[in-house]
Amino acid sequence: MSAAAFTLSRVSHRFDDATVAATALCDVTLSVAPGEVVALIGPSGAGKSTLLALLDGRLRDWRGRARVLGAPLSPDAPPARAHRADVGFVFQDFALIDRQSVYQNVMNGRLGRTPAWRSLWGRFGERDHMAVAAALHDTGLADLAARRADQLSGGQRQRVAIARCLAQEPRLILADEPISNLDPAHAAKLLALITGEARKRGIAVMFSSHQPELAQRFADRVVGLGDGEILFDRPAGRLSDDDIARLYYGRARGGAGLRVVGQ
Amino acid sequence: MRRAALWLVPGGAVLWALAGADIEAARIIGAGARLADFLGRMVPPDLSVWRDMMTGLAETLRIAVLGTLFAVVLSAGLGALASETLAPAAVWRPVRAVLAVIRAIPLILVAMLMVGAVGLGPLPGILAVTFHATGMLAKFYAEAIDNVSAAPVAALESAGATRAQRLRFGVWPQMAPVVLRDTVFRFELNLRESLILGIVGAGGIGLHVQTYVRSFQYEKAATVTLAIIALVLVSEAVNTALQRRFS
Ligand SMILES: Nc1ncnc2c1ncn2[C@@H]1O[C@H](COP(=O)(O)OP(=O)(O)O)[C@@H](O)[C@H]1O
Ligand SMILES: [Mg+2]
Repeated sequence: MSAAAFTLSRVSHRFDDATVAATALCDVTLSVAPGEVVALIGPSGAGKSTLLALLDGRLRDWRGRARVLGAPLSPDAPPARAHRADVGFVFQDFALIDRQSVYQNVMNGRLGRTPAWRSLWGRFGERDHMAVAAALHDTGLADLAARRADQLSGGQRQRVAIARCLAQEPRLILADEPISNLDPAHAAKLLALITGEARKRGIAVMFSSHQPELAQRFADRVVGLGDGEILFDRPAGRLSDDDIARLYYGRARGGAGLRVVGQ
Repeated sequence: MRRAALWLVPGGAVLWALAGADIEAARIIGAGARLADFLGRMVPPDLSVWRDMMTGLAETLRIAVLGTLFAVVLSAGLGALASETLAPAAVWRPVRAVLAVIRAIPLILVAMLMVGAVGLGPLPGILAVTFHATGMLAKFYAEAIDNVSAAPVAALESAGATRAQRLRFGVWPQMAPVVLRDTVFRFELNLRESLILGIVGAGGIGLHVQTYVRSFQYEKAATVTLAIIALVLVSEAVNTALQRRFS
C-alpha cells in the first residue's frame, strides 16, 4: 500500500489553440494522504477543473509525474477499468443522462463495479441496488428516484451527481465545485456528507470550491490555485485574509492565465 | 440593393410561370361541372371490391413495413459512416454526398428502374422504398449520433464503464428517442409514398386505383380512395401518439 492517496510532481499542462495558448497548470507539486480532505480554491480559470480532470485520468498531453492510488498515471491513455472505478468524480456540470431516471443515473456509478456483460441486460446485483439506495437516501433524493433527470432543479441535479459518485464506493473522491448550485443549508449538508463519508472510510477527498469559509470548515487543508500555480497550501483555519486577497485579486496579469503565443 | 434582388427572383419566377402556363379561364370555369359529374359517379361507392382492395392494401402495407425494416438495417451502418463523430471526414463526406443524391431521386423513378431490374410485383416496390428511405434515414441516424453529448458518456467512463456499457447506458439512451421518432416518421412516409407504386407495376393498392379509373369504374375507385384515406389517417394518428411517447 502506497503512502499517499495521490502525488503530483511538477505537473504542467497547456491547452493549445490556433491563436492563444492557455497555461492551465504550471509545475504543480502536491501530495495528499489517505483520509485527508483537501479543498482547492481559486478564481475562475485558475486551473481547478483541469487539475481534477488530470487526477481522474481524463486529461491528455500533460507533463510531469503523477501517481494516484498507488498507480502511475499516463498522459497518453485513460486508466484501467478497476482504477477508474476506484476514483469517484463529481462533475461541475453534473454530466447526467437527461432522459434517464434519477435511479438509473445513480446506478451508472456502479457500472465499473458490476459484471459488465450482465449490466448490458439492465441487470444489476443486490450490492449495486443497496449502494444506490443508500446514496439516494443520504443525498435526500429517495423520493425523486423515479423522476427523469431533466425534470429536476439545478440543485437536485447536483445532488444526483454527488449520489452517483457515492454509489460508486470510490477509494478517492474528486469533486469539481460540488456545491456551486446548492443553497447554504444543502451546501453544508452535502459537504458534510462527502467529507464525513470519506473520514469514516479513510479515503481522501479533494474538492474545488468558490466558498473559502465552507472550504475551511470541512477541509483539513486548503490549497490555493491561481493561474495554474499553487499559491499556498495551508492547514484549514490558518488561511489569512492576505491569502484570499492574493488569490482572488492579487495577480497583475489577470486571472485567466491566457498568454498570446509569441509574446 | 440586396433586398431588391431578393424580391426580384421570386417575382421573376412567378411572371415566367404565368407567361407560359396556358391558363385558360374557360377551362377552369368548365371544370366545376365536370368534377361534380366525376364525383357524382363515385357515389355510392361500390363495396363489392373490398376483397381485392384488402389484398392491395395489405401488399402496400407489406411493402412499407419491409421497406422500412431494410432501410433501418442499411441506415444503421450508413448512419455510422455518415457520422462526423464516428467516421473520419474522408468517409462521412462522400457518404453524405451519396445519401443526398439518393434523396434527390424520386421514389417513383427508383420504382420504375426496379421494375425493369427485377420484374413486376411487390419486390421492386420493397427494393425501391428501401433505397429511397435509406437516403433520409441514414442522414437522420448520423445526426442522432452526432447530437449525443459527450460529457455524460465521459462521466460513465470515469466511473469505470466499459465501452459496451458506455454505448448501452450513455450513448443509446440519448439516441433512442430520436432514432425511434425518425423511424416511425419514415414509416409513415413510406406508407403514403408506396400507395402509388402500383401505377408503375411495383405492387400494392396503386394498381387497383389506376385500373378502376382507367376503366371508368368510379364507384370502385371511390371505395379504394376512401380506404386509402382511412389508412393514412390511422397511420398518422398512430405516428402522433408514438411521437408524443418518444419526447
Ligand atoms: N478544453 C479547453 N480548451 C482550451 N482551454 C481550456 C479548456 N479547458 C480549460 N481551458 C483553459 O484553461 C484554464 C483553466 O481552466 P479550468 O481548469 O476550467 O479553471 P477553473 O476550473 O479553475 O475555473 C482557463 O484559462 C481555461 O480557459
Ligand atoms: Mg472549473
